Parts: sequence; C-alpha cells; structure tokens
Amino acid sequence: MIELNGVSKSYNGIRRAVDNLDLTIPDGEIFGFLGPNGAGKTTTIKMITGIIKPDAGQIRINGTDIAADPIKAKQRFGYVPDSPDLFLRLKGLEYVSFMADIYGVEQELRNSRIETLAKRFDMLDALGDTIQSYSHGMRQKIVIMGVLVHHPEVWILDEPLTGLDPKSSFTLKEMMREHADSGRTVFFSTHVLEVAEKLCDRVAIINKGKILFCGTFPQMQEHFQSHESLESLFLELTKHE
Amino acid sequence: MNNIWLLTKIMLKNSSRMGARKKGSEWKSLMLVALMLIGFLPMIISGVWFVAEMYDGLAQIGQESAILGMGLAMVSCAIFVLGIVYVITVFYYSQDVEHLLPLPLAPREILGAKFLVALFYEYLTELVLIGPLLVVYGVKSDAGVLYYLFAIVLFLVVPVVPLALSSILVMLFMRFTNIGKRKDRLRLIGGIVGIGAVLGFQYFIQRQNSAMEDIEQMQQQLLSGENVLLNLATQIFPSTKLAVLALVESGYWSGLGYLFAFLLATLAGILLFSFAGDRLYFAGVMGISDSAGTRRKVEGHAFAKLAQMRPAWWSYTIKEWRVIWRTPAYMLNCLLPSLLMPFLILIPLVGIQDRKDLLEAFRGWITGTGGISVAIFLAGSIVLAGMNSASVTAITREGQAFFLSKSFPLPFRQFLLAKLFPGTILSILSIFVLLAIAVWFLPITPLLAGLAVFVSIPGVMLMNQFGFLIDLQRPKLSWTSEQEAVKQNINPLFSLLFGGVLAAITILGVVSWGGSLIPVALVLFLVFGILNLMLYQVLVKKGPEWMDKIEK
Ligand SMILES: Nc1ncnc2c1ncn2[C@@H]1O[C@H](COP(=O)(O)OP(=O)(O)O)[C@@H](O)[C@H]1O
Ligand SMILES: [Mg+2]
Repeated sequence: MIELNGVSKSYNGIRRAVDNLDLTIPDGEIFGFLGPNGAGKTTTIKMITGIIKPDAGQIRINGTDIAADPIKAKQRFGYVPDSPDLFLRLKGLEYVSFMADIYGVEQELRNSRIETLAKRFDMLDALGDTIQSYSHGMRQKIVIMGVLVHHPEVWILDEPLTGLDPKSSFTLKEMMREHADSGRTVFFSTHVLEVAEKLCDRVAIINKGKILFCGTFPQMQEHFQSHESLESLFLELTKHE
Repeated sequence: MNNIWLLTKIMLKNSSRMGARKKGSEWKSLMLVALMLIGFLPMIISGVWFVAEMYDGLAQIGQESAILGMGLAMVSCAIFVLGIVYVITVFYYSQDVEHLLPLPLAPREILGAKFLVALFYEYLTELVLIGPLLVVYGVKSDAGVLYYLFAIVLFLVVPVVPLALSSILVMLFMRFTNIGKRKDRLRLIGGIVGIGAVLGFQYFIQRQNSAMEDIEQMQQQLLSGENVLLNLATQIFPSTKLAVLALVESGYWSGLGYLFAFLLATLAGILLFSFAGDRLYFAGVMGISDSAGTRRKVEGHAFAKLAQMRPAWWSYTIKEWRVIWRTPAYMLNCLLPSLLMPFLILIPLVGIQDRKDLLEAFRGWITGTGGISVAIFLAGSIVLAGMNSASVTAITREGQAFFLSKSFPLPFRQFLLAKLFPGTILSILSIFVLLAIAVWFLPITPLLAGLAVFVSIPGVMLMNQFGFLIDLQRPKLSWTSEQEAVKQNINPLFSLLFGGVLAAITILGVVSWGGSLIPVALVLFLVFGILNLMLYQVLVKKGPEWMDKIEK
C-alpha cells in the first residue's frame, strides 16, 4: 500500500509540478497512473521512491514514512525508472546480481530467480554481455529483472511498457497481474489510455500536477462523458504512441 | 559558414556548463575562477620576470628576438600536445555527434565547428602561456602599434597549424582503431603508449636542457642554436619560424611579407585538415559508443562468478571499481594518474642523478634535518591524491543512475565507504609508486621510507574524503558522455588546488618547526589522523542531508 497526503513539489518555485496530491494505492490491485507528458507522473514517483523530497505532505509505503525511516521504506519497494540507460558498463548478470546484493538476496534464491526471470524475459543469452550492447527494450528488461530479483512487496514502475516488444510487454503485464493477485501492490505510470484500460483495476488521472479522477475504469469512462471539459485530455490520452 | 558559427556556439554553451549549476550560484563560480587565477598568478609573475631577465641579457648582444622564437616554439609544442587531448574530447567523446549526424548539416560544418571549439580551448591555454611574453616583449622593446597588431593576429593564428596536426594524428588513430569489439581497450592501449611517448619525450628534453633554470646557460643555448626544444619545434612546425620573423620585423615591409607567408602556411594547414577530416573523421567517430556482445549463455562456473553474493557496500565498491576499469575516460582520469603522475613529479630527479654534488648535498640534507624529508614525501603524496579524480567524481560518474541509487535502501555510511574506497586505494598505490621511484633515485633509508608511508596514508585519505565532499556539494550528473563527466568538470581542479595548498602548508609548517624525523612523522600522523576523523564525522552527519538535496 502507498499513501500520499497533501504532497506538493515545485522545481523552481513558480509552478507546481505536483500540487497537493492525495492518493491511496491499495494492496491487491494494479493501479495505473495516467496522464499526458509533463503531467507530473515522474515527479510523483520520484517523491515516493525518495529520490526527491516533497515540499509538503507525507508519503507512506506499507505504513512506513519515507522521510522518517527511508531505509526501511526503501526495502519495501522496487523501482523501475523511466530511462533504462543505466549502468551501461556492467554486464547484465553483474547488474542483476548487484541489485540482489543491495537488497540482500541469498545466493540460492538469487540464482533460481535470475534463471526464471531470464527465461521469462528471453534474456538468457544476453546476461553475459555488457548492458551497453543491449537494445532499448533489452535494457528495459534488465532493469526490470534487477527490481524483481529482490521480490519487493510494492512495485513502482515509471512507464515500464514503453519500448518493450509485444511478447515482453505481455510477460510483464502477466507478472504484474500475478503480483497484484497475491495481495500486493503494483503502481505504474503511463500516458496511453489503452494500456491502462487493459491492465488496471483502478486508475488515477493526473494533469498539470493535479488529480482529476481516481477510480475504476468504467467509472472513469462515465466521468469523462459527463465532463465535457475533459474531452481534450481524453483525446490526448487515447492517441497512440 | 553560418552553420559553423551556430554549431560552435551551441557546442561551447553545452560544454561550459561545468558542474551542477544551482540558481544564484553563478557568482560563486565566478569567485572560484578568480581564486584559481590568483593561484596561477605566481606562475605568471615568475614567467614575466623570467622573460624580462632574458630580454635584458639578450638585448646586450642584439639577439632579443630569440625570446619570441623560443616562446612561439614552446607554445606550438604545448598546443600540439594539449591539442591531442582536446581533439579526443571534443571530436570524439562528446557524443553530440550522434545527435548532429541526422541533421541537415554538411560533415564539413560539423568538423569545422568542432575544430573551432578545440581552438577556443587552445586560446585559453595560449593566453596563460604566451600572453605575458608577448606583452613583456612589446613593452621592453618599445614596440609600435604594428607590433601589437601583429601579435594579436599571430596569437589567433599560431595555434591553427599545431592543432590541425594533432587533429590529423588523432583522426588517423581513431580511424584505424575503430575496429573489432575491443576497440575501447585498443584505444586505451594506444593512449597509454602515447602518454609513454610524451613522458619519454619530456625525459629527453629534460636531459638536454637540464639547466632550464639557469638563465645564462639558456641564453647561450639559444644563441648557438643548440636549444633542442626550439630546433625541434621549428622543425615540426616550420610555419612558426615565419611567425617569429613577422613579429621581429613588424616595423618593415618584410614583416608584412612574412606575416603573409605565415597566413598562407596556415591556410595550407587548414586545407590539409579538411582534406584529412573528410576522409577520416566520420569513419572513426561512427559507432564510437557501440560495443558488441557475444550473446552466449552464461552457465556453470561463469554464472556463479558473476552472480556471487556479497555484502551491499562491498558489491557497490566492486561496481565502482569495474566501471572505472571499463570506461576509458575514467581510467585515464582516475586510474592512470596514480601510476603515471609519480614519474612526472620525479622527472626532475633525473637531472640530479647525474650530478654527484647535488646528490651529496641531498644526502646530507636528508640525514641532517630529517623531518623535512618526510614532510616533502607527504606533500608529494597529497599532490598526487589531488591529481586523482576518483573520489572527486565519485557521484558525478554515476550520472543519471545516481537517482536510481538514491532509491536503494543503503545506509549512508556504506555508500560513503563504497565511494571512498577506489580512490583511496589508488592513492595509496601511488604512494608506493612514488616511494619506489624515490628509493631508486635518492639515498633513502628504510626508516624514512617506512615513516613516509606511515604519514602519507592518512594524508591521502584526507584528500579523498575532501574530494568526495566537493562532489557531494556540486556533482555534475547531466553529462552525455563519460569523457564530459570527468573532463568538462571543474571539481577535479578544486581537489588539485586543495592538494597544492595543503602540501604547501605542510611543508611550510614543518620547515618553520624544524623538528627531526620521528617527532615530525608522529605529529604529522596525528594531525592528519585527527583531520580525517573530523571530516569523516562531518560527512556522516551532514552527508545524507547533502545527498538528499541532489535532485537534478
Ligand atoms: N528537473 C526538473 N526541473 C524543472 N522542471 C522539471 C524537472 N523535472 C520535471 N519538471 C517539470 O515538472 C513537470 C512534471 O514533469 P514530470 O513529472 O516529468 O511529467 P511526466 O512524467 O508526467 O511526463 C513538467 O512541467 C516538467 O517540465
Ligand atoms: Mg515521466
């Protein structure tokens, strides 16, 4: 579970990138965070993961306040950033193993997890090569593997499906489903309505730093129809990549 | 031509963002630059003094123009050597090329702009190296307006030919190493061989001109045409000779003729550069960031080795270590200085080795006032640690990955340890290299050697902590190439400056005290030990807060 209370952030003091956000992401659901480019999704996610500090408000992950006890809170989640061009000089396996070390995953456990993940993401042949030699999608997959290798309770993924091929995208969605069904939390952002529609149990729509809607998908469609002012936003989100 | 200007401006703007710039910290940066200029001041003043002395001596026999020849020759050599570094940085490892290639620009325009950017850096270098000389000469010789006019023109044009030559050399090298999947390593080896050649060259010059400080002897050499550097420079860059003649005869028609000839020679250099560039540059730069994989499954022993479990802080340390080793730019700036710089520092000793009297004096000096020798060794280690960028770029090197690191549940102490470890180990390594060279050249007793290491270790630890402190304050995370992260970054300069100041204070302190070997070593060890503990406390206490503040 992730709870945000009155969270705000402005980068240069002029306009708020995130404005007084209240949001509760419950257990056992895939929660989509939907909004056009520049809406404030990444900013919100960076605050949840402790990368940037909110100007105001509290954030709790499974009950632990990230500001009060960052180490404990950080052990609860796994985070996939929006750009996968990271640690390019490491080999894929070195990277995943490094992540396992950071989260203290035992040897036996990590071996079997890496094996399973690599198989599911079709990365077995690439693990011994440097990440620099990977394509965009492969980099994305290795970052995701680095997160899943420590079996975090809460998944926080920033636009995780952008750039994945259909098969890997399917695998990731499947895994998100399994994770949510086991009673834990999946929170991911996207700017594509269709993705949210197919995957999410619940969505929140953010635009210009404010939450415009939060609820299930059918509720959302109803909401859009009854609020004509939202039509342009709706159009923006239904446009394909 | 318009496009070239436009591109040049963009490239310069991009690269001048040194360090992270927070709002309102511009005046701070200015102050720092001013401080650094003040740091250079003694060098410039002594340069001016040197030139003035030389002038007076040579003027008595009417040969003062030799100074100009010497100055221009030296600056041509310096520009050529530095040009190699600038060209590698600007032409190859600033990865704007990959963004520029798809734009509707002629290759010639990209190359031209890159040349101008490198030229711009050369002007800055030249300003320090030869600016004072030209002015002093003008003042001393009561030169007319024409002299200064010529001087300005020459100042702008002189670097072109040496830079064109170094560009061609680098482009050739990069073109023919752009092969295979181990090209990074191939280039690194080439680079090391190159550095070795430069060191050898320096050694050679040093041996020939072992009495550089002796003004009279130098005048002698200049007059008799025996100055190796001058001869070499005018041989490699014949155009420099024309430049000198133009300046000397600036009052006559012949001066104008020489200037004209010099400009023609420069034009030829530019043409040669663009001819070579058209053929070499793009073939060398394309795919510079590619690296091939084998796409073979890792199994069994290899898998176990790569996936081996380690404590978090140690795993982080190993990650740092691997990245330094595998990234040529990091290796050149963080790893090699520890191994090569001790040689550079000790090259002057080569001169001593041939001179029994000096060696004797040195021996007496070491055994007599022993305390100073240990302080000098410590100062050397500190300067070396200041030259090493490993700790002062510890955060910068991560780039955007740093933000992912911020989401790790890693206690700050462990993070700190992992970040300090590689730099400290490398600095300690350079202590031993320095010691080995010192023992080779100088009569050093085992006791002195032991004590030197004993005090130097806390010394370099302090430098590494300080470097990390700087990087924590102002890391540069938004780089596009690793070269940019370590090269176009002002933080290593602070560490260098701090090392110099700390070394000077140490030596001055010990000299004014004048204690003998063992007490001095003990006191230095204690002082640096306590400073280390204090700085460590500051880092542990304030570090997490500072790290939190790094948001972009
Ligand atoms: N580092 C930054 N500095 C200044 N403004 C920023 C920065 N990062 C994001 N912003 C601004 O904050 C707003 C929200 O951005 P972001 O959270 O990245 O949007 P999203 O992820 O929804 O596309 C945008 O207006 C963006 O311009
Ligand atoms: Mg985003």
